[in-house]
Amino acid sequence: MKIGNTDINPTKIVCIGRNYIEHAKEFDTPIPSEPVFFVKTINSLIANGKSIIYPRILYENEEFNRVDHEVELALILSKKCKKISAEDAFDYILGYSIFLDITARKMQIYDRNKNLPWYRSKNFDTFSVIGPQIVPLKEIEDPHNLNIELQINGNVKQSSNTKYMIFKIPRLMEYISSFLTLEKDDIIATGTPSGVGPIQPGDIIDASIEKIGKIRNEVILED
Amino acid sequence: MIKIGDITINPTKIVCLGTNYMDHVEETGLEVPEEPLLFPKTLNCLITNNQPIIYPKYLYSNRKYNRVDYEVELAFIIKDRCKNVSSDKVYDHILGYTVFNDITARKMQTKDIVSQKPWFRSKSFDTFGPIGPVIKNTDEIRDPHSLDIELKVNGEIKQASNTKYLLFKIPETLEYITKLFTMEPGDIIATGTPGGIGPVNPGDIIEATIENIGILTNEVILEGEEK
Repeated sequence: MKIGNTDINPTKIVCIGRNYIEHAKEFDTPIPSEPVFFVKTINSLIANGKSIIYPRILYENEEFNRVDHEVELALILSKKCKKISAEDAFDYILGYSIFLDITARKMQIYDRNKNLPWYRSKNFDTFSVIGPQIVPLKEIEDPHNLNIELQINGNVKQSSNTKYMIFKIPRLMEYISSFLTLEKDDIIATGTPSGVGPIQPGDIIDASIEKIGKIRNEVILED
Repeated sequence: MIKIGDITINPTKIVCLGTNYMDHVEETGLEVPEEPLLFPKTLNCLITNNQPIIYPKYLYSNRKYNRVDYEVELAFIIKDRCKNVSSDKVYDHILGYTVFNDITARKMQTKDIVSQKPWFRSKSFDTFGPIGPVIKNTDEIRDPHSLDIELKVNGEIKQASNTKYLLFKIPETLEYITKLFTMEPGDIIATGTPGGIGPVNPGDIIEATIENIGILTNEVILEGEEK
């Protein structure tokens, strides 16, 4: 997978749920006492400019016909690591990018209410967008002070700053790597601020993070 | 990349089915699924035959989390990239069959299920996905739905069933999964475990067997005490 000028070969995408207080509130879910994480698989990954395909099995089913945008700051890892301490976390980060965690919302809520895994709703093909480039670690002095925004067809839908993340990057890296070995090029998506909402075929989604850039993707209905 | 017997595969994901044998549905107290219940395991959990399962200290020394379970399962490996496969064509996309042990941090999983969190961290600790000992192809196993499946801990039988009791058979399963996701060559699908799940402890020898495939043997070792 090519992000800007950098080729990466990730083995997994680890995503953080409920990492902005305002977002946890909008779904009436508790503020977590430790990071909540889930995984997205590589089949979901596309680059800036590619189309997000809205699956017909969601679109044509009233029970499942809501698909949402979620803009997030992503980290790309520079090397394999396990059980790292928070203070060493930045030694393992290659750089930053923008991530769009597209989510089949009604399906996710349906599954969650039945105590089922959060998995299928997050992993349709094209449901993870990353780009437009990987900004090297050194070029962003403070990743916890970046404006983050998402627009649909030019209307601002999400607008926040990474300083509002509940668990900051060092804590996230320490926590995740206490469970699993992370590999070079693995992606960590740090959670979305409030303002999530539905997308429709034909929508143009612009997601931007200060100092990283902007990604633009169109939503199209599956053939 | 992982070598299973003589065959090296390069999976991009492991898709697991939950609650796919009725006796296991009953012991979990979950609902009988209307369609296959899917969850992921990540590749960091894969090990092969005779490699140790590392019991994380983090779980072992925490009373809230100190139960880790075995789950023997029939797994199949995808042969080529596929999407929207119809159930009558699924065997064209299967490289072969093997034995999978879906090691699970049970107390952690139960806690996460009850609080409606993802089933992920409890399933994907390093070494929590033994696979092997070999891959048998679709000519060697003509009927994957009539295989005895068994698991022993220290020689004692803990799980014993037959793949004929799978609720969702392989054609339905792959048709369903490929409606959702593109599958890649080497991807692993674990079809769920029969009843009889229970805990493992450091020092245990686990033997997971499926008829016509072989025995997958792994020792459980406490983290920090690896040889």
